[in-house]
Amino acid sequence: MEPLLTGLAMLADPFNIMLIFFGVLVGVTVGALPGLSSPMAVALLLPFTLSLEPVPAISMLAALYCAGTFGGSITAILINAPGAPPAVATAFDGYPMAKRGEAGRALGLAAVCSVLGGIFSLVVFLLATPLLAQIALKFRPPEYFALTVFALSMLASISGRSSLRNLISGAFGVLIGTIGIHLTTGVERFTFGSYELTEGINFIPVLIGLFAIGELLNQSQSLNVVYERITSVVVKLPSWEDFRRVRMTILRSSGIGTFIGILPAEGATVAAIMGYNEAKRWSKNKEEFGKGAIEGIAGPEAANNAATGGAMVPTLALGIPGSGTTAIILAALIMHGFRPGPYLMRETPEFIYAIFGAMLIANFMFLGIGLGGAKIFSRVTLIPRTLLWPSVFVFSMIGAYSFSSSIFDIWVMLIAGFVGFLMTRHGFGAAPLVMGLILGKLVEESLSQSMIMFDNNWWRFFESPIVVVFFLFTVLGLSWPLIGPLMRRLRERLG
Amino acid sequence: MSERRETSRADANERSPFRLSRLPVINLTDLWLCLIILAACIGLYVATMNFEKVSDMFAQDVPPEFFPRLLLWTIGILALLLPFEHIHLRRRNEDIDEHRTVSIKPISFVTVVLLALVVASMKFLGTWLAMTLVCLALPLLWGERRLIVLVPYAVVFPGLVALLFAGVLKVHLEPFQLW
Repeated sequence: MEPLLTGLAMLADPFNIMLIFFGVLVGVTVGALPGLSSPMAVALLLPFTLSLEPVPAISMLAALYCAGTFGGSITAILINAPGAPPAVATAFDGYPMAKRGEAGRALGLAAVCSVLGGIFSLVVFLLATPLLAQIALKFRPPEYFALTVFALSMLASISGRSSLRNLISGAFGVLIGTIGIHLTTGVERFTFGSYELTEGINFIPVLIGLFAIGELLNQSQSLNVVYERITSVVVKLPSWEDFRRVRMTILRSSGIGTFIGILPAEGATVAAIMGYNEAKRWSKNKEEFGKGAIEGIAGPEAANNAATGGAMVPTLALGIPGSGTTAIILAALIMHGFRPGPYLMRETPEFIYAIFGAMLIANFMFLGIGLGGAKIFSRVTLIPRTLLWPSVFVFSMIGAYSFSSSIFDIWVMLIAGFVGFLMTRHGFGAAPLVMGLILGKLVEESLSQSMIMFDNNWWRFFESPIVVVFFLFTVLGLSWPLIGPLMRRLRERLG
Repeated sequence: MSERRETSRADANERSPFRLSRLPVINLTDLWLCLIILAACIGLYVATMNFEKVSDMFAQDVPPEFFPRLLLWTIGILALLLPFEHIHLRRRNEDIDEHRTVSIKPISFVTVVLLALVVASMKFLGTWLAMTLVCLALPLLWGERRLIVLVPYAVVFPGLVALLFAGVLKVHLEPFQLW
């Protein structure tokens, strides 16, 4: 109880509250702007946190993460252009509601469901993180290796349609992580005589390049897209009747979202789509879906925000990111000198509770912003792209540079951006590459330590039941894209 | 019963935007991608052969090239599946070529070149001028012609960013060094 109170007390400083509010404002704005995403915003904001204390720094990023997920629903409902991928499913029913003059009702419902989903997941976060961390304390290098392999195999199902391409991206990310001096032997790997590469590739410029510059180049392809002007909207809190109708949907989606968030590598987008599908499956008014069903807003909104709290659980308890954005938050933790994982919970539990508090405050803040300022935030889409994206480049450039005051890092960012642009075009996700890059060191370290422990005998991995379970999950996860359709066909044949 | 099911599947296949029966076995774009990835893997594998040799005892039986090679093998094997993946995706009514049938517009390449020039010039122009240059040149390249908006933006915005980073966050910015 004491660490919880200490953690919450850490946030009581007005400066911290101001930073959380700033994070929420940036999050909602970025979330509302199609093209800009929360991973990109967190990556761009990372250099700003260098001069901050760890608690306000990570709190601001966590607040941005929560608010960014909600922000996307504003433009999804008002202009049918989801500002962020997790809001895609919200547009299915939100926009039809807006078209029939119920935009205010839809926005109010989205805000309330998001907050309820977020709070549900934070309660799980509060309870599950210490438990998971306690279990993880028993993990030795082989268990960690199996866990990270399982996390990497989960990349097969995140962002993008192709599991194969996501896996290749993830493996490339891990490979990039091997550039530089090998820790055990001091041998230079893939440096090709470059002095700058001996310390390895800094992940901050790569993150900024992949998310910001890649999207900038993507936007250069569609300079003529104009979003329609927004008509006046008065946001309304959901009526008791509406709330009664969606209460089970909120509860179900919050559970789904939190569970999906906890799974390594799965994020808010998958949660939102599952939340929408389940809302439709359980609804008595299936025919209303796609035409403006309120369950069609409640389902994805509760799920996508619940995924944010869920995704923080493996990030903080195991050091395995739960989503693309938490991968960047994990990078921020490392940058601020923390070792994410079970030791973080054992050594500085108050820090984890401070993040919990920050996310809770952020949820209430964006409820206020969502109800009071949706109209203003929807207008951010009117900012000309010809000015918005050069500004993004300026922040990217200086953000990449400021980490080690090196122009080389800007080149890394630019190359990562161009490669990311080409990768996305061919169906390779940027998020898996980032996850691979961040998990890479942990995979290699745990594999090397395990091989030393087992005297180079691979079979001894199977002596640990935890390792066997993780490997089984990995095989199941990787073969599911093939087994799933086969099973569906078999079911069809059996009638 | 089974005949009716077969017919309905054939109908669905006919109605579907992608007809499985007419699909080529190999997707040519993905074949190229596969070849590029394999070439990169081979190149990097060769690079691992040039890693400094250390004794097994020093490396504790895990030589520095072991893990990168393991990854290169994994990537190579996965890449071999790429040219055939479109068949699996199209069964799920997904078209991997959907976004890449239209070629990349030249503006994207010109944008990359412009950004590279700005980064290259940063060492001489300094950070603030490089930022001003990009705020002026990129909007112009992208068709912004409202100078009344553009000029104040290109002057004020980089100035504020430089002030924030150099003044508040104490980041050392590259100075102007043309002369």
